[in-house]
Amino acid sequence: MTRGLRTWPRAVIAAILGMFLLFGGAGAAMAQPADNGVEGKTFVIGTDTTFAPFEFRKDGELTGIDMDLVRAIAEDQGFNVEIRSLGFNAALQALTSNQVDGVIAGMSITDERKAVYDFSEPYFESGIQMAVAKDDDDIKGYEDLAGKTVVAKTGSEGETYAKSIAEEYGFSVKALDQSATMYESVKAGSAVAVFDDYPVLAYGVAQNNGLKTVSDKVPGGSYGFAVNKGKNTALLAAFNDGLATLKADGGYDKILDSYLADPTAAVPTTFVDLLAKSFPALMSGLKNTLLVTAISFAVAMALGLLAGFMKLSRNIVVRGISTTFVNIFRGTPLLLWAFMFYFGLPQLTGWDVSIWVAGVLTLSLNSAAYVAEIVRGAIQSVDPGQLEASRSLGLGYGKSMQKVVVPQAFKMMTPSLINQLIIMLKDSSLLLAIGFGELLYQGQQIYAANFRVTETLVIVGFIYFIAIMALTKLANYADRRFNK
Amino acid sequence: MSASPVETQKPAKISVKGLRKSFGTNEVLKGIDAEVAEGEVVCVIGPSGSGKSTLLRCLNKLEEISAGHVIVDGFDVTDPKVDINEVRRHVGMVFQHFNLFPHMSVVENIMLAPVELKKASKAEARQQALKLLERVGLKEKADARPAALSGGQKQRVAIARALAMNPGIMLFDEATSALDPEMVGEVLQVIRDLADEGMTMVLVTHEMGFAKEIGDRVIFMDAGVVCESGPPAELFGNPQQERTKEFLSKVL
Repeated sequence: MTRGLRTWPRAVIAAILGMFLLFGGAGAAMAQPADNGVEGKTFVIGTDTTFAPFEFRKDGELTGIDMDLVRAIAEDQGFNVEIRSLGFNAALQALTSNQVDGVIAGMSITDERKAVYDFSEPYFESGIQMAVAKDDDDIKGYEDLAGKTVVAKTGSEGETYAKSIAEEYGFSVKALDQSATMYESVKAGSAVAVFDDYPVLAYGVAQNNGLKTVSDKVPGGSYGFAVNKGKNTALLAAFNDGLATLKADGGYDKILDSYLADPTAAVPTTFVDLLAKSFPALMSGLKNTLLVTAISFAVAMALGLLAGFMKLSRNIVVRGISTTFVNIFRGTPLLLWAFMFYFGLPQLTGWDVSIWVAGVLTLSLNSAAYVAEIVRGAIQSVDPGQLEASRSLGLGYGKSMQKVVVPQAFKMMTPSLINQLIIMLKDSSLLLAIGFGELLYQGQQIYAANFRVTETLVIVGFIYFIAIMALTKLANYADRRFNK
Repeated sequence: MSASPVETQKPAKISVKGLRKSFGTNEVLKGIDAEVAEGEVVCVIGPSGSGKSTLLRCLNKLEEISAGHVIVDGFDVTDPKVDINEVRRHVGMVFQHFNLFPHMSVVENIMLAPVELKKASKAEARQQALKLLERVGLKEKADARPAALSGGQKQRVAIARALAMNPGIMLFDEATSALDPEMVGEVLQVIRDLADEGMTMVLVTHEMGFAKEIGDRVIFMDAGVVCESGPPAELFGNPQQERTKEFLSKVL
């Protein structure tokens, strides 16, 4: 299957790639020398978050065909792997920027991708199948689709195939991003059928995702393991050797059978069961959400105060710097900066940017722009007579601001700052796009494996709601306590 | 202080020479010359917009001075080498709208400058602040917040605050204009006491009766210039200028 670059248009990927080539020297330092072996080394492998049965989380652990395969090959070849569950597009970005050494993510080998990455021998032959809602007795084949809408994954072979027969059978194709959301839209009735990779469909059906398959498989693409073009050749060779060994000794078939022939039906059956099973993962997500928000807010406050005061400066250069900062971060989406810091920055500088650093930079710089405006507005709203009275006593400008103006401004800005904190806590969910393990990300991981999308989202939403209500109460209490 | 006192022939406490002040293209002060001797009480009167508040605010450089010189205690405040903060410590100022610090208690308002400028320890500053409050009759309000005070009480606290650095000069900018009529008396009494103690004072005021009573000299300003100046009995009793007569006929 050809899963497209879902979040970023190809042109952007090409631009990033161009930047990489330009600054390529920095990244090269991280790569393995060409003719070294792999024995005893540790490689970072990027993968998707939500592509059962190839990769998904079961009881918090990453599992699936890809995971078992790459671990078995690593064991056979004597190297170690560190798996990073980033999301499909994010994993490819990370590969381009050398944040990871290789990617295994149910990725089809295509000519387009071969121009950018080096692929292993195919490790899985896929194909397309059509599925409908379990209780749907009307759609039995393509000929029943006339006048209806079907869904397929953006840029996938499922989409390509569905479009190729759409005119012949008179239906229209709508593209969505995730398997789980495609299945939901079929169950909800906004589409009558889904075209998806057969192993993914088969696994979902076995997990009671509420669908059934109604057509024969159409042969599709082959999946391969990828490394950056010209990099990690030893790793690629080792993958091929290990794959050959596994295929020869039957280990390969055993892995596939365990997911495809008899999928483990460990899906929670009741809401309480779902809640109990997902609770530990969601709590660890909540912990990350709260922690990244707390750190980012502290940084945002420091930067925002600084930028807010700079905006009030009489010096046009100082004021200009602050205004530029505020305009840039208010005028661009948060998500763009998440990608920029996590994928762009390492390519431009060669630095190793951890996901926490990228996450904190993203949230704090965005928020600091708003805090700066809140600070400036609050200081300007303090009666000018206050500063005059303090200055007339012989106190300097700095002392007067510190003792007289800022304390009053702070009292005025507190409600806006509490608001900003709550916005930041919610915005932190956007960091799931770079694979940061926050609350909503953990929720996605759970429903990607069990297909209980609505219930999982209800639980996640409830946790956010409780956390934010508690935070609001706490902040308002602090406001009353300290800002009398 | 970085500059040495300017040599002057008369021992004037405040000396204003050719003072001009513009806001943009609007010239508010058009060349003011005036002097205030030590211990003298000068009242500045005149119609709205005549520039009297601006003149007062130039004396401690709350307004940037466009041209001319203002010499306070021997220091030319228009000289960039003069530390204006040091000059201001010797010049207390009282504002029309009190400008008390609402986030501090009454006593903290008064203690702020002595403590922050390291003139006194907190305990000393509090002792001194309580004495000042006693002087303005508000000792029992020491720990109240300004919001809990009446207008007259606020202004008396503001006067106590202006006195905290033990200034040699006091400036009053329409100190009773924002007060309800029944509160004017209590504030005027405090000012009267200060005058009796020999404080050098400049008052911008609309209280003609008070100016007549308390002023050693009255300056009448109109349209950015000093129109007429003299002892209150003369200025009020026998004004020389048409403008002065016209103004006094309206307000008396």
